[in-house]
Amino acid sequence: MPVSSSTLKALLPWTFCTALALLLVLAHPAAAQLSFKPTAEAVQEDKLLNALKEGDKITGRISIPDAMAASLIQPAGRDWRDFHRRKLPVIGGVAILGMLALLTIFLMVRGRVRVHQGFSGTSILRFASFERFTHWLTASCFVVLALSGLNISFGRILILPLFGPEAFATMSAYAKLAHDYLAFPFMMGLVIMFLIWVKDNVPRKLDLEWLKQGGGILFEGKHPPARRFNAGQKGIFWIVIVFGTLMSVSGWFLLFPYLPANVTVLQVWTVIHAVIAMLFIAAMLAHIYIGSIGMEGAFDAMGTGEVDLNWAKEHHSLWVEEEQAKGHAGSTPRPVAAE
Amino acid sequence: MKVFLAALLFAAVAAVGVSMILNTIQEPSSVAFATSGARVGDPGNNLIGPNG
Repeated sequence: MPVSSSTLKALLPWTFCTALALLLVLAHPAAAQLSFKPTAEAVQEDKLLNALKEGDKITGRISIPDAMAASLIQPAGRDWRDFHRRKLPVIGGVAILGMLALLTIFLMVRGRVRVHQGFSGTSILRFASFERFTHWLTASCFVVLALSGLNISFGRILILPLFGPEAFATMSAYAKLAHDYLAFPFMMGLVIMFLIWVKDNVPRKLDLEWLKQGGGILFEGKHPPARRFNAGQKGIFWIVIVFGTLMSVSGWFLLFPYLPANVTVLQVWTVIHAVIAMLFIAAMLAHIYIGSIGMEGAFDAMGTGEVDLNWAKEHHSLWVEEEQAKGHAGSTPRPVAAE
Repeated sequence: MKVFLAALLFAAVAAVGVSMILNTIQEPSSVAFATSGARVGDPGNNLIGPNG
């Protein structure tokens, strides 16, 4: 097809510009990439995280001796964070405040469980010194562990606004130290407690009857027979042993976070630690209640170690018979508390 | 009361004892999680605390 000279003249500037642009692109490839606007088109963090499936991780290469540091992004961590910020306060609130509400209602409806026969003025040794030492060792550590643990979960919401950031940070730092190191005497107490009391806490048929009769607590003046520990006390014992063991194992992994295989396993242990802690605290509130204001004469068992003979006969009749058969019971005069 | 106070004292002594043992057998993080080529000198005055 013939091309006129005027057409060639008109195309010349365009041809020149195109050739110049092509030259620039070939000489500077980066300039060509700039046309894709990387800041707008690059993978955004939200899209990246949403694209990752459960269990996926973005890892890098590291040279320091901390294998976990190679995990750069782990989407499951968002679920873990959501659990601690949203679900755990609900679980803790329901368990602890719910238990406090139940105990308050129970006290208002049932009142204190009194010694039906009245105090006899004679006492019987319920717990020896070493048993009470073990109980108070474990209990005192538990109280500090519980309060410092609750501070970790709820302190930012409840205490920080009251104390201010400096005081809250200082208090939390000391609470964390106490939590870390008192865990060891707590675990020690747990082991001793298991060894000295397990033989008296094996569930038996008698416990079913005790439960059917409401343990002598629900109904006024009714006291089912029990040996050294009744079904309720056996329940508390096994809660302490099972929950205490779970808290110890999970706490051990939190104290030494490089023992678990990876970050995901560590996060699972923190969830177990937190949930069991809330249930454990709720159960111990019930234990503290019935061992103090809930039942007349009960605190003496762990206070002085000696309980009134009538109290013992009402709540542990078979145990009293066993002790009397051994010649251990009812020999010590006991001052009757003024009511 | 004596038993209770003895238990409290034992708990405190045990906790302090464990902290001393752990501080003896564990390495500071500046040593445990860094290669010898990357360790900072004089950690007490260099970004991290003496026990960091």
